[in-house]
Amino acid sequence: MFNSSKKKTPLKAKEKGEMPYAKAGISFKEWRDTKPKTNKWRNLRWIVLIAVNLLFMVSYLLGLSVLEGSLSGSRAFGFYLMDTYNALQVMTISIFDGYFWALTMNFWIGFFTILTLSILGGRTYCSWVCPYHLLAEFGEKLHNYFVKKKKIKEHTYNIYLRFVFWIGFLLIALFTKNIVFEDINPVGIISRSLIYGPSIALLWIFALLLFEIAYSKRFWCRYACPVGATWAITGQAALLDIKFDLDKCAHCRDCQDVCLVPHELWFVQKGKATQETHFTGSDCTRCGLCVDVCYGDALKFTVKGMDKIL
Amino acid sequence: MAKNKDNSRRDFIKSAGIAAAGLALLGGGIGYYNKVNGPKFTRQPRFLRPPGAIDEETFIYACIKCGLCVQICPVEAIKLADLDEGIDYGTPYIDVREQACDFSCDSLQCVETCPTAVLNFKPFEIAGGEALKEYAKTHDATKPGFNPFSVQIIAMKSIVKMGIAKVNEETCLAHQGNGFKGKPRGNSFEGIYRSPNSKTGKPAPLSETTFDREICDLCVTECPIGEKAIIMSVDSETGKTIPKVLEGCTGCGVCVMVCPTQKESIIIEPIKEESHV
Repeated sequence: MFNSSKKKTPLKAKEKGEMPYAKAGISFKEWRDTKPKTNKWRNLRWIVLIAVNLLFMVSYLLGLSVLEGSLSGSRAFGFYLMDTYNALQVMTISIFDGYFWALTMNFWIGFFTILTLSILGGRTYCSWVCPYHLLAEFGEKLHNYFVKKKKIKEHTYNIYLRFVFWIGFLLIALFTKNIVFEDINPVGIISRSLIYGPSIALLWIFALLLFEIAYSKRFWCRYACPVGATWAITGQAALLDIKFDLDKCAHCRDCQDVCLVPHELWFVQKGKATQETHFTGSDCTRCGLCVDVCYGDALKFTVKGMDKIL
Repeated sequence: MAKNKDNSRRDFIKSAGIAAAGLALLGGGIGYYNKVNGPKFTRQPRFLRPPGAIDEETFIYACIKCGLCVQICPVEAIKLADLDEGIDYGTPYIDVREQACDFSCDSLQCVETCPTAVLNFKPFEIAGGEALKEYAKTHDATKPGFNPFSVQIIAMKSIVKMGIAKVNEETCLAHQGNGFKGKPRGNSFEGIYRSPNSKTGKPAPLSETTFDREICDLCVTECPIGEKAIIMSVDSETGKTIPKVLEGCTGCGVCVMVCPTQKESIIIEPIKEESHV
C-alpha cells in the first residue's frame, strides 16, 4: 500500500543484453519454456486453506477441542483467537456504550494474538485461510474465460475504496449499535455455514460471486472487504513477504496477470524498479501465484531478516 | 499522464461516493428500523438467550457470532440464528420446546467459554464464591477429596434467569384433572435431558422413557431445579392438584420440552428488559 521505495527515482531500465534470457544466450520464448509449469504454492495453499476449514468442521462434529468456534472467533487448543475487524467493531461500540471494561481477558488475548500474526504476516490470512478466497479464485477463472471470449468487459476500481467500506462499516456499527457487517461478511457466513450448517445468507455469497464473475474481477477481496483491509493496515512492516530480484526478471508481467493485487507488483514493469531487490507491500496476500508463474525465479517467498539463516 | 490521474481520481471519488451513500442508507435504514421496533429479539416470543446473557441491546453488538457456546453445550441446546429466524443473524438462542438447557453440564460451560462476556460469568463467579464461604462455615472445606465446585454450581445454577415458566390453564392436563400415560413427545422426538430420577446421572433421550401418572406432573418431577422452582399444589378454590411455578424458576425450559400436550401447556416467558442472571 504505502511504499517509500516507490517514490525513489527508478533505476535505468535494463538493456536487452541484460535480460536473463539474453545472458543464457537464448530467445525469450525458449527461455520461458525451460521452466516447467508448476502450481506448487497454489496447491500447498489450497491444502492449508481446506485443512483449516475442515479442522473447524471436524472439531465441532467430533467435539474435539482442537479448533473450536468459527473464523469470527475461535479457540485453538484452548487458546483464544479473535478476528481483528470484528473485535474492532465491538471495541468501537463498547467504548461509547460503556461496555469496554466488561470485555474479557480472553477477548484481549484473542485480539492481540491475531494482531501479532497480522503484523508478522500481513494479508496471508486472506489467501491461506479465508474460505471465500477459494470460491473467488474459481470465480476469477470463469471471469477470465468470459473476458477472453469477449463476452464481458473488465471493470476495475480504485483499491482505496476498501477504506471507505472499512470506515463505513465501523460507523454503521457505532450508530446502529449492531455489528451489521457480520450479516454480510462472506468470511463469517461461509465459515458458520460450513461448521453449523448452511444458512440462507449463502444466497448473498452466491450473488456476490455472480457479480464478480460477470462484472468485476475479485470485487469483494480487492475493493470491499474490511477484514482483508484490516490485515493490510496492520501488516505494513510484515516479515513474511515476496522478494523481487530485478536481475532475474524479464519484465514479461505474467505475474501481474495472475495477481489479486497487481499494484503490489509495480516494480516488475520495465524501468519502474528503484532498487535491485523489492518486497511486496501489505496488500499482498502471499498467495504465491506469482512465485509459481515466474520463469526466472525472480519472485520468491522470504522472511525478512532470516535470509542468511534459511 | 496527468489527465489519466485526474480521471482515476474522479472515478475514485465517484465510486467512493456511491459506496458511502450505500453504506449510509444501509446504516440509516437498520438504525431507524431498530429504533422504531426495538431490538429484533424482543419481538420474538419463542426463543431464549443462553444462561447469563446480558441485556439485549449490548448483546447484539458485543456477541461476535463465533458459536463457541454452541460447540460446548453437551445437549446441543444452543443454536445460531439464521436470517429468517427473526433474531439477529448468527446470535445464539435456545428453542426450549425442541431442546431445553438441562444443566447437565454441571458448570455453565457456555458462559465460561464466551470470549466477549455477552454470556457474563462474573455474577456466577461471585455467587459461587459466596456459596463456598457459607459452606465452609458449617462444613470442613479443606477435607481431601472435597470438590468445591459441587457446592458452587448449585448456587450458580440457581441464579440463572433465562425467563420464568408460565402454565397455560386451558390446556394443561393437570388443570383438567387428567393424567398422562406414554411417551410425552412421541418416539421420534430427539430432545435429550438428564432427569432428576435418572439412575445413570447422564442425559438420555426423552423418547426412551414411558411415564404413567394419574395426574400429569411431568413439569414438576422432571425439573432440574426442583421444589424451589415448581411444585404440585392443591388449588384452594377448585381442589385440583396443579403445577405452581415459584420464584426459583430459572427458565431452563425442561418443563416445556417434556410437556405432553400437542401444543405446550407451559411456556417460558423470556426476561427481555434486563440481564438473564
